[in-house]
Amino acid sequence: MIPVQMPVPPNLYALVAGAMFFIGVAGVVLRRNPLIMLMSIELMWNAANLTFMAYARAWLNNAGHIFAFLVITVAAAEAAIGLAIVVMLFRPRPQSNVDDIALLKG
Amino acid sequence: MESSLNTWPLIVWILPFAGAVFLWAFGPQLKRLAGPLATAVLGAAFVATLALWPAVAAQPGGVHVALWEWAPGISLGLLVDRLAFIWLSIITGVGFLIHLYSIGYLAGDRAEARFFSYLNFFIFAMLTLVLADNFVFLLVGWGLVGLASFWLIGFWTERPSAVEAARKAFVMNVVGDVGILLAIFAIYGTFGSLSYADVFAKAAQGPPAIMTLIALGLLVGAAAKSAQVPLHTWLADAMEGPTPVSALIHAATMVTAGVYLVARCWPIYQHAPGAMETVGVVGAVTALAGALLGVVQWDIKRILAYSTMSQIGYMIMGVGVGAYSAGVLHFYTHAFFKACLFLASGIIIHNLAGEQDVRKMGGLAKKMPVAFWSMLAATCAITGVPLFSGWVSKDAVVYQTLALGHPILWALGVLAAALTAYYMSRMMWITFAGEYRGDPHAGEHGHGPHVPAWVMGLPVAVLGVGSVVIGWLNWPVESFARFLAPVFNGAPEVPVGAWGGEFLSTQLPLLAALIVGAGLAYLQYGTAAALADAPDRLEREAKTQPAFLVKLFYWNELLDALFTVPARAIGTWFARVLDPKVIDAVLVRDVATDAGILGLLFRRWQSGLVRTYALTLLCGAAAMIVYFAVVR
Repeated sequence: MIPVQMPVPPNLYALVAGAMFFIGVAGVVLRRNPLIMLMSIELMWNAANLTFMAYARAWLNNAGHIFAFLVITVAAAEAAIGLAIVVMLFRPRPQSNVDDIALLKG
Repeated sequence: MESSLNTWPLIVWILPFAGAVFLWAFGPQLKRLAGPLATAVLGAAFVATLALWPAVAAQPGGVHVALWEWAPGISLGLLVDRLAFIWLSIITGVGFLIHLYSIGYLAGDRAEARFFSYLNFFIFAMLTLVLADNFVFLLVGWGLVGLASFWLIGFWTERPSAVEAARKAFVMNVVGDVGILLAIFAIYGTFGSLSYADVFAKAAQGPPAIMTLIALGLLVGAAAKSAQVPLHTWLADAMEGPTPVSALIHAATMVTAGVYLVARCWPIYQHAPGAMETVGVVGAVTALAGALLGVVQWDIKRILAYSTMSQIGYMIMGVGVGAYSAGVLHFYTHAFFKACLFLASGIIIHNLAGEQDVRKMGGLAKKMPVAFWSMLAATCAITGVPLFSGWVSKDAVVYQTLALGHPILWALGVLAAALTAYYMSRMMWITFAGEYRGDPHAGEHGHGPHVPAWVMGLPVAVLGVGSVVIGWLNWPVESFARFLAPVFNGAPEVPVGAWGGEFLSTQLPLLAALIVGAGLAYLQYGTAAALADAPDRLEREAKTQPAFLVKLFYWNELLDALFTVPARAIGTWFARVLDPKVIDAVLVRDVATDAGILGLLFRRWQSGLVRTYALTLLCGAAAMIVYFAVVR
């Protein structure tokens, strides 16, 4: 079993992380505001980070911490690019609705 | 073999190559020095050749230089035996004189340095061909001389006819290259080696059918390079090149490579009697055909080109019947008298500002004495006036042909000799006798910088003297044939000193042929009456020449019908049928249409709705999780 006793067992962390993840998924799929969608994606990243953290602590394995940093880096990059795209796309438009952006429709 | 001698063949070989590369790189900077430099290189190569003489004279086997092993069992090297030395001396010696002459002939040309670079490169290529001790170098040299010939025929690129002639020569020579390549494949397949020594030592063990195939493959190469029937048509067109090129490549050296090849590979031919017979017949037919075509030409260089073809026919006939040293002797004398004829004609053309039509010449004997006397000596040689060089060698070839049992070829040879006497005398009388018929102001305007006359006169005079005396190498004592005897050791040639009935069987008929031919030409062109109304007479003759000869036996037309027309038909078929209906329609357009149909199917996925993509992504992830967590 898990070598380190934690005040809160890691399974509960995983439960919270799962909840966060699906809230994120629902946000991306259901909302139409691109900023909200980006925030939802951040939520999914952080759900993954939380899982990494919890189990890194539980298993006393630093790989999890390192991966969390990696995720933060990628998330930052993603946020930068995503926000830039959002700004460029919606500057000429009166409102921001991702369903209006269908330039690549086949 | 002494090792200290072994560097001379390398030096001879590399010098012209270095010269060619240097002139190619620095030619524009050298300006007027390019010609003298190239000539000096050839002079040095000639000296290096002479330095080889003691070794070659002392050792019947010659000097051998091993270079490197190209592949297991195929080692490459250079060999200077007596046969190679004969060619070497002509390539570097006559080559030197022609380089010297070119300084004058090309003076002021816009691409003088390029010309001399090509000329040096040609010498290198020809040396590769001749110095080879294996079939690989032979083929490399064979291809490179064709390339050099292509460059030099088309040297005046602003003349479309020159470019066309260069292309024609190149294509026909490649036909020969392919023949040699196939022969080399067969040689390697049969003997497992490509060095002369190995192959010739084992020649007796080759299956007769294979030997005949090899010999015929080599003959295709020889015929293409030496302008033998049926691959002869390129040589006359090659006269579009500068005259020194005609003298060096298309008279003295390259076109005799076929003779060299057959003489070099005589052990192979010895075991392929059918192929050898073919070689003899090809030679005799070419000797006659060339002479016939020479009769109706008006362009002085074309007359000489057809006479070259005819004389090489004699050489090929000689080596084809087994008279190897006689064929080689005719090559040797021919190199002198034909180079002399071409260079002398070059002086005439140069002084008449490019005029080549003999009808517009006449009376030039007084104006150009050096050209006249040299040309007269060379004409006496080629027609076989007793004691001149051509008399010795032609007599040897024709006599050996009879002595080795080919009376029909002998008769063709005598007939061709009569025609030779006729067309050469015709050319001499039209060109040099009577009154000048051309543009009175031709050549008066100086063009380009002036070069001392001796630069062009000296080589012509030296070659003219050579045309007289060089035959004495083999007459009255057969030292030339004795010198070559170790190379052709075992050939069926009539033994040296056994020329018994020569006078009655050959010298008398050849003399009769000379008198008849030259006499007919005299009656037609040389009498006082003929000279008096020469312009009208020549015009009338030009109109009444037999079309069969003027059209060159319709040979170009025949080759066109056999090869060009079918090739063009295939090309047209490809362009009209295969390309639009198969390649364009099926391979290109149908593939594009199919891709389009697939695209129509898949484009529905690309809705452009970001949230749909997100959902798809989610479903995919869910499916993967289900697969890894549940199914496995």
